[in-house]
Amino acid sequence: MLVLTWLRGLVLHRRGRLVATTLGVAVAVALLASIGTFLSSTTSSMTERAAARVAVDWQVEAARGASPATVLSQVRREPGVQRALPVAFAETTGFQARSGGTVQHTGPGKVLGIPAGYAQAFPGQIRTLAGRQGGTGVLLAQQTAANLHAKPGDTVRIGRAGLPDAQVRVDAIVDLPQADQLFQKVGAPVGAQATAPPDNVVLLPAGTYQALEGPLVTRRPDLGRVQVHAKLSHALPGSPSAAYTQVSGHARNLETTLAGTGQIGDSLSVALDGARSDALYAQLLFLFLGLPGAVLAGLLTASVSSVGAGRRRRDAALLRTRGATTRQLVGVALAEAGLAGAVGIAVGLVAARIVGHQAFGTASFGAGPVAAIAWGAGSALVGMLIAAAAIAVPAWRDARGLTVVGQRRQLGRVDRAPWWQRYGIDVLCLIGAGLVFWQASTGGYQLVLAPEGVPQVSVNWYALLAPVLAWIGGGLLVHRLVDLVLARGRRPLARLLRPGAGALATTVTATMGRQRALLARAATLLALTAAFAGSTAVFNATYRQQAEADARLSNGSDVTVTESPGVSVGPSGARAISAVGGVRSVEPLQHRFAYVGADLQDLYGVRAATIEEAGALQNGWFAGGTASQLLDRIAQRPDSILVSAETVKDFQLRPGDLIRLRLQDGRTKAFRTVPFHYVGVAKEFPTAPKDSFFVANADYVAKATGSDAVGTFLVQTDGTNPATVGARLKAKLGTSAAVTDIVDERSVIGSNLTAVELKGLTRIELGFAFVLAAVASGLTLGLGFRERRRTFAIAAALGARSRQIGAFVWSEALFVTTTGVVLGAAMAYGLTRLLVKVLTGVFDPPPDYLSVPWLSLGASLVLVVVAVTAAGVVTIQALRRPAIEELRDL
Amino acid sequence: MSTVPLVRCAGAARTYGSGATATVALQPTDCAVLPGARTALMGPSGSGKSTLLHLMGGLDDPTRGTVEWPAIGTRAALRPGPVATVFQGPSLLPPLTVAENVALPLALVDVGPAEARDRALAALEQLGLTALADKLPDELSGGQAQRVAVARALIGAPVLILADEPTGQLDRFHGTLVVDALLHAAERTGAALVVATHDETVADRFDACWRMRDGLLSTEVARCSS
Repeated sequence: MLVLTWLRGLVLHRRGRLVATTLGVAVAVALLASIGTFLSSTTSSMTERAAARVAVDWQVEAARGASPATVLSQVRREPGVQRALPVAFAETTGFQARSGGTVQHTGPGKVLGIPAGYAQAFPGQIRTLAGRQGGTGVLLAQQTAANLHAKPGDTVRIGRAGLPDAQVRVDAIVDLPQADQLFQKVGAPVGAQATAPPDNVVLLPAGTYQALEGPLVTRRPDLGRVQVHAKLSHALPGSPSAAYTQVSGHARNLETTLAGTGQIGDSLSVALDGARSDALYAQLLFLFLGLPGAVLAGLLTASVSSVGAGRRRRDAALLRTRGATTRQLVGVALAEAGLAGAVGIAVGLVAARIVGHQAFGTASFGAGPVAAIAWGAGSALVGMLIAAAAIAVPAWRDARGLTVVGQRRQLGRVDRAPWWQRYGIDVLCLIGAGLVFWQASTGGYQLVLAPEGVPQVSVNWYALLAPVLAWIGGGLLVHRLVDLVLARGRRPLARLLRPGAGALATTVTATMGRQRALLARAATLLALTAAFAGSTAVFNATYRQQAEADARLSNGSDVTVTESPGVSVGPSGARAISAVGGVRSVEPLQHRFAYVGADLQDLYGVRAATIEEAGALQNGWFAGGTASQLLDRIAQRPDSILVSAETVKDFQLRPGDLIRLRLQDGRTKAFRTVPFHYVGVAKEFPTAPKDSFFVANADYVAKATGSDAVGTFLVQTDGTNPATVGARLKAKLGTSAAVTDIVDERSVIGSNLTAVELKGLTRIELGFAFVLAAVASGLTLGLGFRERRRTFAIAAALGARSRQIGAFVWSEALFVTTTGVVLGAAMAYGLTRLLVKVLTGVFDPPPDYLSVPWLSLGASLVLVVVAVTAAGVVTIQALRRPAIEELRDL
Repeated sequence: MSTVPLVRCAGAARTYGSGATATVALQPTDCAVLPGARTALMGPSGSGKSTLLHLMGGLDDPTRGTVEWPAIGTRAALRPGPVATVFQGPSLLPPLTVAENVALPLALVDVGPAEARDRALAALEQLGLTALADKLPDELSGGQAQRVAVARALIGAPVLILADEPTGQLDRFHGTLVVDALLHAAERTGAALVVATHDETVADRFDACWRMRDGLLSTEVARCSS
């Protein structure tokens, strides 16, 4: 009865505090449930996208001597296999075609026999560039067509070992986007795959293949093989790890069934394997970016609730004087917590559904029903715990420990610093964070380790200690500093406040000093919120900056024109490209191959004066100097060369060392030795592979090899959409060169990790950070002021004008906002650096500098200022009534 | 002594709420307080004593009639300074020490902090409260807190002191101390003093006694005991 009466009273007369606690619970629940939606959406879409990128899920190769028909029927019988078609492979000694009175030859290549309907069954495998559409007929690979100068309608001769050449008429020129997988060595150990697919390929209809290559394979079985290409059902578990385990296990099971008659090239598992670490990173992003927000929401709820603790204590004291027992007092508090928690949870879950729907297009809290229930129930439990911790626990503590007089007391003298200040826990935490960070980040640090082909993925959880300790240490240090200023720095603070507070400055600072626990807590929460908003925004902006850098690094420029092998175009070829509409500048980039010892590596010949701007080179891509410094060295000394870190290590190179590389002479085609001097390390370079390559002076390379042939042209657009310029270049250059644009590249890079989801996550995070910032600043201060209306009313009754009451209100608001925002910004800077370092695996390449989204941060600062101003204005407006009316109401 | 009233009520009435829920706290009232007057305002709880004091102190507005302060000026000039009020309940600002609470009215009229503190300490000394100067309100007894409130009321050298049941929450001993403090201060400064009380023994110490019942004021009683 008492509980019901009390709750009714609360709803009717103490709505403010009930609504504030409910709001806090709702924010925490909504944030957690939204993150559940994020994780659900991320992991399942990662699985979907990884699977969707695979053209052929399984390539089951029939063992020599085994019946391909038997293998085919066994694969087709396998549950989950939706489509299976046989594909035959044969070796050719080379192709030959006549074009414009000359005969072009190629080296050895592959001839494939594909059945009818193959292109429709595996739509990602064949892309028609010219000629008959639909992937039927005789299809010539684009690079082969460029080598042979062949086009649809031309005749191509296929060399057959020990047999006369066969002859076919080309129906279409095609691109094989997944040539790496198509020509994989089935059954080869992990890491032993060929580095490049064959240059010369022709695809024949199965009947034509049988007619032309059948005799060859019959005569030389070693030159032919048959694979069964299979498409599986992609109804896979949401988690890439689980999907990987399922698919790879299924493949092994089929191999057992095949009993040695076939081996499986499991491209689907390989793709899921790559997504596993991405999924783990997504979960780590939740830990690093999401969890602090949820904890912060809990702290804010507790703080907002504790603002009314004085009044709650007085209420409890009144109940106590009327004979309420400790049990009854706790029961009343539990009922209040239950009401605030239940309403907050309901509001939070509805908000999360809306947020999830808006941000990710899903309103479910988890990947499946179980996960959804777990996330929903977990969020609700956390919400209830927050409400209990904010209301019931303090009430229980007070009911047990305080007397009636003590409960009525509003403000006590603070004689002793809290235990964590006395033991320096804040400093210890920060030192600990630094040590863990230093130890974790030295020597081959990797946060997530997902070895290829191994089902288990491991996380360096130890490294997570660094940000956890930094959050705790930073928050406590802010509290200590604010407390110190209010306790020991009253005189300078009074001087600072004098312009606004006038003669009341000393009184105002004295008031603030006596309430320093309250103000330090408010400033700390605001600082934590600012740090949360700042670190999230900067991390997100830096991620996007690096995703863009990655796309630019992979593509090389806005648009990149790569000449086909065998085609020799000099720097003057840039003129034809420049003539295309939308092109601002064209930078020729030589691409050669060079032997260092027995290793064959890519070599890029650059124009040192112009490549830095054209390639948007970043300092982080080099070691031993900045990009400008190293290019200056190349310009000053023509035989300078930049070498990859791996090569430096392998060959024990020191700056200035002479390196002799073997490069192909453009005239004789023979390899000749060319001396270079090592001047620095290139870790990344536009269009270059990740492992090892060289960067040298283009003029020097041209002179040494007698050829100025350019492999790639980096094209900058004049603001026209790169995709448009790319399309124009494709139309102009035809199949003689490959044209790629950064718009396409962005979509590939974006799908590698979580560009889309991270954007969604950070949008949620920033949205909640804004709400939390408003709560931390405006609501906390506003409720604090509201609880002190009596104080202000007494001051007004003593003759204080609105301006003088304002001195108290605005001084506190200014102090809390300034210290909170400034110290929060400092924390955000430190935390972001820490996060970027700890989560370095998310970034590719690692960033040179942090990208600061001033607009978002400025908007959140404006929001804080507006919230604080609103709190102050409402407080002062409320005192416009006759003071005695205000006092009578309190 | 001037015969210009410090405060004059002409038909002043106060009603709280409106319509069916309207409560008449003060019927139309005519009264005036002259400089140097010592007046006790007697009446049971809810008779309208506090309402009348609040109107006289400019803390509230009459719903009918007028309240004027001929010897002082407009309402804006009343506080801090000429009119001081001692409230019934705790009225010290919790985050300020006793000395800071007493000095507050001076700070509100731009007196420098050092001078304000000196004058506050002097005011506390006159009431024998020097030892409490650096204590916080929560560390005081009810009697101490009310005497500090008196010290704060006196520090602005008021010409009219209005005290609303200043002994209402105190025992007799501490109540006597508070009334002594008020009377001595009025004696010393020549300020007029109006004290609302329902305690006859307190009222007996005043020169004049007004009685109130159900919002009606009777100012004809010369001595409370008569």
